Amino acid sequence: MKKIALNAIPEPWEYNPSKWSQRLRISAVAAIAVFIAIYMGLYQWRLIGSVWDPIFGDQSMKVLDSDVSHKISSWVRIPDSILGALAYLGDIIFALAGSTRRWHDRPWLVILFGLDVIPLGFVSAILIFMQGFVVGSWCFLCLVTAVISLILIVLAYDEVWSSVLFLWRVWKRSRKFSVLWDTFWGKANPIAHEVGLEMAKRRDWRS
Amino acid sequence: MWARIVEFMLAAWLSVSPFIFRYPDDRFFFWANDLVCSILIAFFSLICYYRPLRKMHLCNLLIAFWLIALGYIFRGDPLDVALQNYVTFGLLLLMVAIVPTDSEKPPMSWRDFYEKDEL
Repeated sequence: MKKIALNAIPEPWEYNPSKWSQRLRISAVAAIAVFIAIYMGLYQWRLIGSVWDPIFGDQSMKVLDSDVSHKISSWVRIPDSILGALAYLGDIIFALAGSTRRWHDRPWLVILFGLDVIPLGFVSAILIFMQGFVVGSWCFLCLVTAVISLILIVLAYDEVWSSVLFLWRVWKRSRKFSVLWDTFWGKANPIAHEVGLEMAKRRDWRS
Repeated sequence: MWARIVEFMLAAWLSVSPFIFRYPDDRFFFWANDLVCSILIAFFSLICYYRPLRKMHLCNLLIAFWLIALGYIFRGDPLDVALQNYVTFGLLLLMVAIVPTDSEKPPMSWRDFYEKDEL
């Protein structure tokens, strides 16, 4: 039986979306957002007296002290900036976990990573871009983190797509929920092996 | 194994939290909670180095849920700093505790699947 190489290139890409360089790049971008979010969280915790904003000045503090922000903080029990920092930290944690074949071996991890990056990223970006209309003020650093969220989506969607495609083909081949379930949780089975091999093989002979 | 090391470091943070946030001496529950939870987190992270128990880190998910729940159960308590620490810590622990031991390698099931074939 032929093994699927650890650096196999899955469809539909010309590169391995689970390779380390790809995931370290995501981690580095997310780390910038973590630092910015913690900085704003320190203000909301009143550990620092003000927030730097080269464009909108005091408006940043109005956003961070707004009723919307206080309401979110009362729901989640911590400042909303710290919640954002944890979400970006989650991007780093889930980006660093797993082998370079995780699109095939641990689809659950890739899907979890995708859920943290894609829907959460979209929601946070939309909320931040709406702040000017809801709160009536703008926050430069919040906008920077919103742009980072969108960049992360662009950087991360390829791996998620490969995993979803892999699971879809396993389902199409087996038509058994138990096989799909096992594959999702990284339990080896011949059908997942066959499908993974086909997804990687087509790339092999093209290159 | 990096996730287990991070868990151990988080346990160290929780164990010194009563001193950092200066819990009053009469808040015995909070002192005891931080001490017991930190010992359990450290135990569950270290025991994973013994291969048959490599999935024990999942027990830390229960501790993470417990700490987050405390943030809501004691809502309005004067020791709010401790509660915010619990929620922040719990959310972070939740994400780290879900990462498998030996996560940089393929899962044991796939490794066995290919090794069996080579024999």
